[in-house]
Amino acid sequence: MLEIRGLTKQFGGLFAVNNLDMIVNQGEIAGLIGPNGAGKTTIFNLITGFIPPTKGQIIFKHSDISGKSTHSIAEKGLVRTFQQNVFLPDLTVQQNMLASCYLHPKTGFWEAILNTSSYRKKEQYVCDRTMDILKFLGLDSVNDELVQNLPHGYQRLLGIAIALSTNPKLLLLDEPLAGMNAAEVSESLTFINRIRSAGTTVLLVEHNMRAVMGLCDRIVVINFGRKIAEGLPEEIKRNKNVIEAYLGTSENAAGT
Amino acid sequence: MSKGSQLVKPAGYTALVVFLVLVPLFIKGGYFLHILIMAGIAVILTSSLRTIATTGQISLAHSGFMAIGAYTSALLVRKLGLSFWASFPIGGIVAALVALLVGYPFVRVKRVYFAMLTLFMGAIIRLIIMEWRGLTRGTSGLLNIPPPDSIIIPGLVNIAFDSKVSYYYLILALALISLLFLYRIDSSRVGRIFLAIEQGDYVAESVGISVTNFKVLALCVGCFFAGIAGSFYAHYIKVLTPDSFGVLQAIYIIVYMVVGGRKKFYGAILGALTLTLLPEFFRVLKEYQPFVFVGILLVTIFLLPDGLVGLPDAVKPCIQRLRKVKISNA
Repeated sequence: MLEIRGLTKQFGGLFAVNNLDMIVNQGEIAGLIGPNGAGKTTIFNLITGFIPPTKGQIIFKHSDISGKSTHSIAEKGLVRTFQQNVFLPDLTVQQNMLASCYLHPKTGFWEAILNTSSYRKKEQYVCDRTMDILKFLGLDSVNDELVQNLPHGYQRLLGIAIALSTNPKLLLLDEPLAGMNAAEVSESLTFINRIRSAGTTVLLVEHNMRAVMGLCDRIVVINFGRKIAEGLPEEIKRNKNVIEAYLGTSENAAGT
Repeated sequence: MSKGSQLVKPAGYTALVVFLVLVPLFIKGGYFLHILIMAGIAVILTSSLRTIATTGQISLAHSGFMAIGAYTSALLVRKLGLSFWASFPIGGIVAALVALLVGYPFVRVKRVYFAMLTLFMGAIIRLIIMEWRGLTRGTSGLLNIPPPDSIIIPGLVNIAFDSKVSYYYLILALALISLLFLYRIDSSRVGRIFLAIEQGDYVAESVGISVTNFKVLALCVGCFFAGIAGSFYAHYIKVLTPDSFGVLQAIYIIVYMVVGGRKKFYGAILGALTLTLLPEFFRVLKEYQPFVFVGILLVTIFLLPDGLVGLPDAVKPCIQRLRKVKISNA
């Protein structure tokens, strides 16, 4: 579904991402892990068009999307969430959803100004659908709360809800579990599994290793912008390169 | 919503419109009518500026775009002999086209940088008007701009634009139509998209909204109505000089919006009306208008950060406290 070939991003002399090849298959939950500063978020920014790649190709559903603008990539069905809690701060949960529900269905400018019956039908549909998504993620109870007053766990989920409102084919989750407590983590894991069963492919970056190992079908490990391992969770756990990247080499350990 | 409130709202609006239609019957002096007409222009300008501001951009070129509409319409009538009824929408369209042209490079920058660019844009428009003497007659001004052609439907209507009253009705109609249009934008999905862009352009972009296109759209719509207002102004005042469209005028429009309150649609209307009508009761201070405005602005920012529309929320706790005191006294 998503194929990355030779992706490179250079910031001055620094290779944030270096000649990366990677594949995400339809219907899977893929994990992208690596130590801090490995370049995971940069890869997300490249895939979703927030920054243009220096070199390489990103193929999504058989078309090259590298260098395209973020909104046109979203229109193709590739949407991300953010590492920080990003939303529309002065609005309620429902208003956030309504404002971000833009692609499905689209409305024309004049249709909206003239308040035609087809426009009103679409508005009703948008209302129903955003409500469905909020219920799906258990956010319907805080419908009318201002988002900036929500607890952190709800804010993280709202980020996912906003992304889901675009009906994505491939959803990129940037540390969806960051800062959550144990109960929230296990709840979120069920949601991510359900998103996949509903037909959305997921690629996620996450530092919670136990969650990643339990959730992902396949894992890609990167360090210093390079891929150092790829495979099933069991293989990754035993991979020497991965252990080295996270814990350092034995020589280093002996030296200290 | 109860059935009662659904009926009260349209009834209230109808009453308001009827009142506005009847106003000229009560006012004898032409001067006060003139003030009301200028207030009508200010309402269109402020509300259209608010539409631009809902995407998080403050334009300092609004008086410049008003000038484009004014000069376009006046020159089309004077040089090409067009009817006002054809030239005045063209004034708006030309202003919108100029906005479209500069919009794409301009909206690439945000906030204070956007404001700076528009400040220069306004200055450039004024410079062009001042220096292109062959067309605009520069600082000596464009004089004798003809009034709108009379509306004549044989046997039924014959409206000649020879009195303040007919201009009053024209601006009333213009303002109501403009406000209806802008209100539909604000309360529809387009307005929600603008709001999403203002509140979080990363989020907006990531859910598929083309932030650039919609920012330019807001700018074009806003400038179209600025052009319309300018074109009415030209044929009402009948004299155009570049001095009428300076930076100070642009800042006044922003002050109207801030004092009225940007968050609600009627805030812009409230601000424009208050600040154009209020100074008339303090005519002695006319020369010190900038001082007065600075004072009003400071008071608003400190006491009512949400503008006049925030007044009910600000007063509510005080009233509740008063009630409590009364009850405890009784």
